[in-house]
Amino acid sequence: MSAPETAAAAAQEVLLAVDNISLSFGGVRALRNVGFNIRKGEIRAIIGPNGAGKTSMLNVINGFYHPQQGTITFKGETRRDMRPYIAASQGIARTFQNVALFKGMSTLDNIMSGRTLKMQTHFFWHLLHFGPARREEIAHREVVERIIDFLEIEHIRRTPVGRLPYGLQKRVELARALATEPDLLLLDEPMTGMNVEEKEDMSRFILDTRDQFDTTIALIEHDMAVVMDLSDRVAVLDHGELIADGTPTEVQGNERVIEAYLGVVH
Amino acid sequence: MLHQIFVAPFVQMATLPDFFLQVLWEGFVGGVLYALIALGFVLIFKASGILNFAQGIMVVFAALALVWLYEIGVPAYIALALCILMMLLLAVGVERLVLRPLVNQPDIILFMATIGLTYFLIGLGEFIFGGEPKVMITRQLGIPTGSFELEAFGGFIIIQQLDVAAAVIAIAMVLVIAVFFNRTKIGRALRAVADDHQAALSVGISLETIWVIVWFTAGVVALVAGIMWGARSNVSFALEIVAFKALPVIILGGLTSIPGAIVGGLIIGIGEKIGEIYWGPLLGSGIENWLAYFIALAFLMFRPQGLFGERIIERV
Repeated sequence: MSAPETAAAAAQEVLLAVDNISLSFGGVRALRNVGFNIRKGEIRAIIGPNGAGKTSMLNVINGFYHPQQGTITFKGETRRDMRPYIAASQGIARTFQNVALFKGMSTLDNIMSGRTLKMQTHFFWHLLHFGPARREEIAHREVVERIIDFLEIEHIRRTPVGRLPYGLQKRVELARALATEPDLLLLDEPMTGMNVEEKEDMSRFILDTRDQFDTTIALIEHDMAVVMDLSDRVAVLDHGELIADGTPTEVQGNERVIEAYLGVVH
Repeated sequence: MLHQIFVAPFVQMATLPDFFLQVLWEGFVGGVLYALIALGFVLIFKASGILNFAQGIMVVFAALALVWLYEIGVPAYIALALCILMMLLLAVGVERLVLRPLVNQPDIILFMATIGLTYFLIGLGEFIFGGEPKVMITRQLGIPTGSFELEAFGGFIIIQQLDVAAAVIAIAMVLVIAVFFNRTKIGRALRAVADDHQAALSVGISLETIWVIVWFTAGVVALVAGIMWGARSNVSFALEIVAFKALPVIILGGLTSIPGAIVGGLIIGIGEKIGEIYWGPLLGSGIENWLAYFIALAFLMFRPQGLFGERIIERV
């Protein structure tokens, strides 16, 4: 099943391309001349040892970091750097390595916050909780309920997320990202701290997200089995450099990758 | 001596219930105004995690600006509108010049910045408005100033119409703000920003907009608090002392809680007045300067997070 899909993906247009990105903090060079692209509809993995610059790359893509050099092309528009607001309004959503939820709010409110940019009614109506605002709130609730169904979190709708176990928090975070109806979804280690069963659930959700919501996905993950199973193409970073880029099989056989992961006696 | 402390004041309360009621009413009005000032602190703290040291001086600055505008010949209501506009400009200015450059810095640095802002506003205020106390333009703003008497327990309670107006306006204001931040999408965005800046950014909430909205709201709250306090005494930088009474209120109520600010304000206001009237003569005057802090500390021994504060539990 995965082979024809990969072929289809290869034929498809590029959704996002980063070119020659360099990012440094003071003397530390987090990314050096990194360039790769993400095609529409694919699941793209970014892997690499700790400190390789994976999260920095995601932060560049959604505008938290502004690279000193390079360009980001999203939906055909080339920019020097992104801004979080532009990224969000153009359809880039993300989750975080250490779950970043609104801990005091319920699951429902967390996911509803993902609808912020889709809500157009003037806040005056919201104040009255009446008229257009009411209709709008109901419409958005429907979208959110669909996502809640999809991720099987109906039972925790009203629970403050701070009280949820880690695995469920990760799922709520995914739900919030989906609520923004993203074209590109960035997942930063969606499966850390999960047991095998939870990982299987999450893998299923990621695949279904791509198929049902037409979302392109870029994910950082350490579990190689998961990466090989899920992804169409893999980019490998090491010490801020792109050392390999290709299908899972290609990357697996790459010498520099093996070297980076296992270390080689020089 | 023990009799004087533990028995006599209560006997006094029981034998003169009309007077006690009068004390309660005055404490209540004071408390509502404390709550209004505390609300300004809580709003900003909730949205940005900053304890805005300048909140107290914003109260004074807004009130002084209003009176000054009237003195140079601007009609009262236009002066009021201009002051609201000024608070908006202040909010935008603070966001651009203070918050934005310091974003992602430790909270303590932002707190220091608000101390800087405090002294900047004091300096600017004295430069433009002069240092001498001014009289609030209460009547010109259409706030009633007379008084009436209520019969109760065979005696009379004197109620200033101004106090009634202050209480009504403050309560209305608190309600509007509570509804605004709980019911609207901006309220949801505000709570989101309060919880996690990065996550809020990632769903497209604009920190800048939220900060401006919150500082502007806090500014308008400060303006109203300034008018009401100013009407009860004079408008001068001495009001700042009163504004800092909001500190024990928010310690008591919990820094992140709007209901906490209200209940805290009432407890401090009423407690302070009762203490001042019934125990004040025993302890010498000046009790009103420290009693509020004493009450707050006493509460904190039992609830360190404040009455309504978020309980901080670290999961290990």
